[in-house]
Amino acid sequence: MSLKYVEEFRDGALAKQIIKKILAVSKKPLRLMEVCGTHTTSIFRHGIRSVLPKNITLLSGPGCPVCVTAQKDIDTFIHLCKQDDVIITTFGDLIRVPGSGSTLGKEKAEGADVRVVYSVFDAVHIARENKDKQVIFCAVGFETTTPTIAAGILTAAAEHIRNFCIHPANKLTPPALAALMETDGIHIDGFILPGHVSVITGTHAYKDTFEKYQIPSVIAGFEPVDILNAILMLIEQNEHNTPGLQNAYPRAVSDLGNIKAQKITSQVFEPCDAVWRGIGSIPSSGMALKKEFHPFNATKKFNIQAIDTPEPAGCACGKILMGLKNPTQCALYKKKCTPMTPVGPCMVSSEGACAAFYRYN
Amino acid sequence: MNTEKILLDHGSGGKISHALFADLILPLFDNPELSCQDDGAILDFEPGRLAFSTDSYVVDPIFFPGGNIGDLAVNGTINDIAMCGAVPKVISAGLILEEGFLLKDLKIILESMASGAKKAGVKIVTGDTKVVPKGKADKIFINTSGIGILPSGIHVSGNNAKPGDQIILSGTLADHGIAVLTAREGLSFESDIQTDSAALNTMTRQIIESGCDVHVFRDPTRGGLGTTLNEIAVQSKVGIKIYEPSLPIKGSVQGVCELLGFDPLYIANEGKLICFTSKQDAQKTLEIIQKNEFGKDAAIIGEVTHTDPGVVLLQTAIGGVRLVDMLTGEQLPRIC
Repeated sequence: MSLKYVEEFRDGALAKQIIKKILAVSKKPLRLMEVCGTHTTSIFRHGIRSVLPKNITLLSGPGCPVCVTAQKDIDTFIHLCKQDDVIITTFGDLIRVPGSGSTLGKEKAEGADVRVVYSVFDAVHIARENKDKQVIFCAVGFETTTPTIAAGILTAAAEHIRNFCIHPANKLTPPALAALMETDGIHIDGFILPGHVSVITGTHAYKDTFEKYQIPSVIAGFEPVDILNAILMLIEQNEHNTPGLQNAYPRAVSDLGNIKAQKITSQVFEPCDAVWRGIGSIPSSGMALKKEFHPFNATKKFNIQAIDTPEPAGCACGKILMGLKNPTQCALYKKKCTPMTPVGPCMVSSEGACAAFYRYN
Repeated sequence: MNTEKILLDHGSGGKISHALFADLILPLFDNPELSCQDDGAILDFEPGRLAFSTDSYVVDPIFFPGGNIGDLAVNGTINDIAMCGAVPKVISAGLILEEGFLLKDLKIILESMASGAKKAGVKIVTGDTKVVPKGKADKIFINTSGIGILPSGIHVSGNNAKPGDQIILSGTLADHGIAVLTAREGLSFESDIQTDSAALNTMTRQIIESGCDVHVFRDPTRGGLGTTLNEIAVQSKVGIKIYEPSLPIKGSVQGVCELLGFDPLYIANEGKLICFTSKQDAQKTLEIIQKNEFGKDAAIIGEVTHTDPGVVLLQTAIGGVRLVDMLTGEQLPRIC
């Protein structure tokens, strides 16, 4: 296996040319938000903040799937893992996220059967191999993850695997951007739009939001040259007062996106209102299973009432996800909340803003 | 032997235990100290300083591309001794076996231990075998302890890094951790990535015998290069700066790390060392390492600084600078 299109986009000389141009063009103080958690990690890993002029502030947005998963969903996962004869399957990042009283990791240590999987298909396979157990998949993630989860459900349905189900907590990106723009006190001068999500959705998914708010928006890849180039484009749009929706990741993102993935998603899921951690309910920003797939809904299968738990006191994850605070402005940061003892999810996930600040700053 | 399994009787100390030792272990590890079959090995060392180390091996899966738990158990302890600047001489082997473990697998593992020790010029002079009921251990755990002799005048230690020192890494990063990961159940990668497990005592001996001014040897195993450099920065109360473009890493390993969201700086290595030398001896040391069979990809990856004691910084390819912290918990795969 060798990676194409990585070395080229990590080229130091090319990156330095773009940085030079940024320094020449940038005059106004600007607050640019990278929406995606993978961008946050990449920005820190490559030291991008340290090469930008002081008047450019990067904000980490609501694009880390673990970070935006509501406390009530985490508590539901934990509640489900305590049921008899169940196997909980989850992406690794969720294991350490604290619910209101426990974590999946702590329950595992107490004897719950919690297994880390790399794909929903691993969970389907576990169900195939363990007919005497109910296998529940904790479904979190954005447009990138949802199509494979839908495909997993279609596979389970086709094979009549009745001991497999999910707790759906998947989310959609464009409604969150619109909700951000409507929030009081928000000051964002441009969005670095997520590359992976856009591969699925295509550029057109952002057109409504862009046309309504006229905010500079650039879709970016994840290598340093990609990100620096997107930042340069956002600075130019701001300096010249020419807001636009631009695609700086054309090697992967098309206007219409991955139609097949979109079709599979809409075959299984439909939009619903969803609660985002620290932000609250955002209309049509979640994904619910369509009626014909309700047998695959863990909440219905186990007849679980909605768990409504408050978020931990003092945790500023919500404000951080909206760009209203940076992690160092949270009273718990590096005191009560560290990667070893996380209070909020932004400190748990490798793509969380607080964890990235802690690790790389 | 194909279907024969380890029974609780194999650890009973009775006839079956003795047969396992006499028929399988002794012929493979063959040496006079072990053949005596006393309660302990009698060793004849010149007076002087010794290095002594122990480590336990519980890797899962026990067989992975390019090696198995037996290679690791022997090479790991040999390397711990070698990183003290000592010449490893003897090791012990304690086996904890799960009832039902296949005898043919045990044979493969013991053969790897024997050949690894032989290649490194080290004898396995004492040992122990215990069997626990099924489910009370995971197939096989191995503890090895080792003793090595320190040449006079050698003082290498994690406390000895000095501002101005150059840091040499003996080869590509993260091969072992990624090889084990790709062999784990549920991760069906096809790749050519193999463990780098190797005994590095010849490499350290060659460096020491050259007279180069070496201050620190360390093998970046669990926690990877990032964690090991942090340990040294704290121990020596110095700053460390490394250069991203200089870090050797295979394209395939980088690819898996990118896919799963891992940072290769925190992935385990089992056949690599880092060596801190004075600036004037760095090039000579690098050339010695590159001539060794396990060091052809070696590179100077950084330096020790006066500033920021206890802190490791990385200068990125684009000219940025960021912190390299210690690993927190196990690296987990990302979601998207």
